[in-house]
Amino acid sequence: MVNKKIGKELNEEEGKRGWLRLPLPFLLVFPAIFVLSIVILYPLISSSFLSLFHYELTKPNEIEFNLLTNYKNMLHDDTFWLAFKNTLIFTGVSVVVSLVIGLIGAIAIDQLPERFAGLRGVVLVPWIIPGVVVGFLFMLIFDVEVGIANVILKHAGIIKEFLPWLMDEHLAMIAVIVANIWNQVPFYILMFTAGLKAIPMDVKEAAIVEGASRWQEFIHVTLPYLRGILVITSLLMVIRNFNNFPIIYTMTGGGPVFSTTTLVIYIYRLAFEQFNLGYASAVGIVWCAVLLIVSMIYVKMLYKQVHG
Amino acid sequence: MFRRRFSLGWTLSVWGTVIVILGWSLFPIYWMLVTSLKTNMDVFKVPPDFWPLKPTLENYTALTTGISPIGRFFFNSLITALLTVLITIVLATLAGYALSRLKFRFRDQILVSVLVTQMFPLVVMLAPLYLLYVKAHLLNTYTGMVIAFTSFALPFGIWMIKGFIDSVPVEIEQAAMVDGCSRLKAMWTVVLPLTIPGIVATGIFAFLDAWNNLLFPLTLTNDIMMKTLPAGMVLAFTGQFKHDWSGMMAASFITTLPVLILFVLLQRYLVEGLTGGAVKG
Repeated sequence: MVNKKIGKELNEEEGKRGWLRLPLPFLLVFPAIFVLSIVILYPLISSSFLSLFHYELTKPNEIEFNLLTNYKNMLHDDTFWLAFKNTLIFTGVSVVVSLVIGLIGAIAIDQLPERFAGLRGVVLVPWIIPGVVVGFLFMLIFDVEVGIANVILKHAGIIKEFLPWLMDEHLAMIAVIVANIWNQVPFYILMFTAGLKAIPMDVKEAAIVEGASRWQEFIHVTLPYLRGILVITSLLMVIRNFNNFPIIYTMTGGGPVFSTTTLVIYIYRLAFEQFNLGYASAVGIVWCAVLLIVSMIYVKMLYKQVHG
Repeated sequence: MFRRRFSLGWTLSVWGTVIVILGWSLFPIYWMLVTSLKTNMDVFKVPPDFWPLKPTLENYTALTTGISPIGRFFFNSLITALLTVLITIVLATLAGYALSRLKFRFRDQILVSVLVTQMFPLVVMLAPLYLLYVKAHLLNTYTGMVIAFTSFALPFGIWMIKGFIDSVPVEIEQAAMVDGCSRLKAMWTVVLPLTIPGIVATGIFAFLDAWNNLLFPLTLTNDIMMKTLPAGMVLAFTGQFKHDWSGMMAASFITTLPVLILFVLLQRYLVEGLTGGAVKG
């Protein structure tokens, strides 16, 4: 990478001059690392310890080291496995559908004449809406009595009767996924628009001159150029969706009967409603391990993207 | 420049797609506004009115007189978000500069760890963090909340500012240093002004992160007077007031308005900051 090289030369020059061998890097980086350590590193280490204990917040005198019992219990915990499955469904469907909508949207917006560029900003708006508000909003939209979703679907002839979206075990997941997709599609549009802008003009022109159809151009020019950003964006969003809390928590609270309980909701309930900190930590650690694998892939891909 | 010939079908499908996406993006927000202007009686009308026939501001005035101190929530959100912005910008700029320009041991490891911290689920940190906050008397304090918010916004901020500083030619700085500037002075007078879009974008992100965060205020405060808007709203509208739809939408709109204004004013920086960092890496 160009900058890295220049930075290196600059540093070597400094080395020769013999100044700035001082702990300046340390001084500049330490404050940030310190804050990150309090809120992320320390709790992470502490969680791994907690996960080996039977520890209920309400019974502080009955703390007991139980080695891997928490982890063993997890294997037989149906709710854990359901939450795992729900997380995969929530994340998978959200990411795939958002990706497709985002790609189509970005390409369409990219084709607009320059004077409509402002519309790009307008489609980004759902992305800044606070998660709790998204949750409340779609709670209203999917309500069985007053919800506009039912009115629209019935008028369109898709459903015959008003459906109790958020109170039905099979429908609730659809409702929270729709809310989530609404919230995050703008992010994909933003990323893909940036990717489209980075395609060199002459490559596109060459394709047009050689008589490529729009479809051929998409498959042979656009997609290969977007591949990097597609992978990076989806991995990033897999991680973000794994961790989504406010939308599900406000819309359904994980119900009805655990049907929208994802791992995040499950851990939160274990820790802050049942006060079972030991077990909650164990589930959290397993969760982190899964995420770490995804993160590693992400970091690797990002590195590849940056360094070619 | 070569252009494709005009084709009506293509133009129509482009515009059709754009209009569908615009409608899908904006209708829920419009619906929030409309519902907040209706009385609760009108909300229950079937079929519903698509625009407020008798708009009323009573839901908004009720927010100030109701049992839940929405005004206080708003104030808490504002003060914690602004402090988070300030601290995040300072810390991320210092660290971002060092990680971009200085060579030191463990630099690459620090960069990767910073990226990875962003991916750990907040919820796993919460139980130990709660216990730590109890011991350190940080529960129900702005300090506690700002520390938590900052750490959440920092990793992304560091990467973003690093990316921006990477793209400032190093020669500019060298020139200033040859002219006798110290490194820190060169950073302050030469590099930072060129990094403004990245810094502003980082600030907006930190603000959005703090303003939108639910988990931290939900768990790290138990005094209702210390809740921020998201946590306060969950408290206010999930119990017996669950079906106060128009009140809920009024509160939602009030919560959305500051981020909306911020977004409209600073959109250029946000887009530039995010995509600049993302595409360049």
